[in-house]
Amino acid sequence: MTLAQALFMGLLQGATELFPVSSLGHSVIIPSLLHWQFKQSNPTFVPFLVLLHLGTAGALLVLYRQEWIAIIRGFFTAAVRGRITTEPERLSMLLLTGTIPAGILGVFLENRIKSLFASPYVAAGFLVVNGFLLLGFELLRRRAERGAALDSKSRAEQEESFATAERISFRAAAVIGACQALAFLPGISRSGVTIGGGLLAGLRHQEAARFSFLLATPVILAAGLVEVPQLFATRVPVGEYVAAAILSGVAAYASARFLLRYFRSGRLDPYGWYCIAAGVVSLVLLTFRL
Amino acid sequence: MRGRLAVGLVILAVAFAVIGGLYYEGVLQIAVSDSHAAHHTTHAILFAVLAVASLIAANFAREKTV
Repeated sequence: MTLAQALFMGLLQGATELFPVSSLGHSVIIPSLLHWQFKQSNPTFVPFLVLLHLGTAGALLVLYRQEWIAIIRGFFTAAVRGRITTEPERLSMLLLTGTIPAGILGVFLENRIKSLFASPYVAAGFLVVNGFLLLGFELLRRRAERGAALDSKSRAEQEESFATAERISFRAAAVIGACQALAFLPGISRSGVTIGGGLLAGLRHQEAARFSFLLATPVILAAGLVEVPQLFATRVPVGEYVAAAILSGVAAYASARFLLRYFRSGRLDPYGWYCIAAGVVSLVLLTFRL
Repeated sequence: MRGRLAVGLVILAVAFAVIGGLYYEGVLQIAVSDSHAAHHTTHAILFAVLAVASLIAANFAREKTV
């Protein structure tokens, strides 16, 4: 992999990890479309991905640094006391509840599923499925808005009628966490399914995105840290990889800031249509080897 | 009832801790990607987290005096 390719992959990973468009799907499809020769089965590719993920997790930690301090403090307080009294305490336990199913499914299923479906054709197909999922989440959300007679209100008023992340139920947190396993399929977006799950659980769009980003941080960080020894086990161009990881972190930070602002009134539909279009175009290009 | 649930969760925590230890020592080779590895650190960490989570749940489930 050349330096330019490494930097491009870093930028792509960081930008697409938090957007509901599947970073894994893009990192499988785009190198194939560009006819890049590097093999993702190469032993140096895993450490590369590890560093990119650590860059993304670092960006999320920086973005939510104050919140994470409150969450960690709340976690220990609630765990020792055996009772939840504040919102950060409740949020910390919701995140633990959501992380456990993701962790179990990740440890036991991730590698098998990824190796089964690591083909650009499959990724493009699942990207289309991801698009329909996002549109489906919004369809159900609009139905809920109609049910609550919010049709005539402005978007800001509609959003205010829904809940903040701290108000979600523990069952919903567990289901949203388990939904992250769908993202082992290249083309299905982790943030897409968790934001969608949050919407179905009655969260505001911005709060669903916030919960999704907070839920992602421990999983991405843990997955990255566990693989760190691989960085020293293979001969990797550390300088190039670190530069790509920094770029990934910067892109992830900018993406998160953009999305949190966008979801004040925006919906998932544009990303749904993008995924359908990108998936179909990719399938055509891959089929005709253009 | 809550007391029984708390005890059950503590037993579950102990079971998770034992399973985690067995994975770390390479005794358990169930659902692992490399069955020849000496340690299954990721599995061990997962079960350690599950053990801690079970203890926290037990603390929530126990009857409070206040």
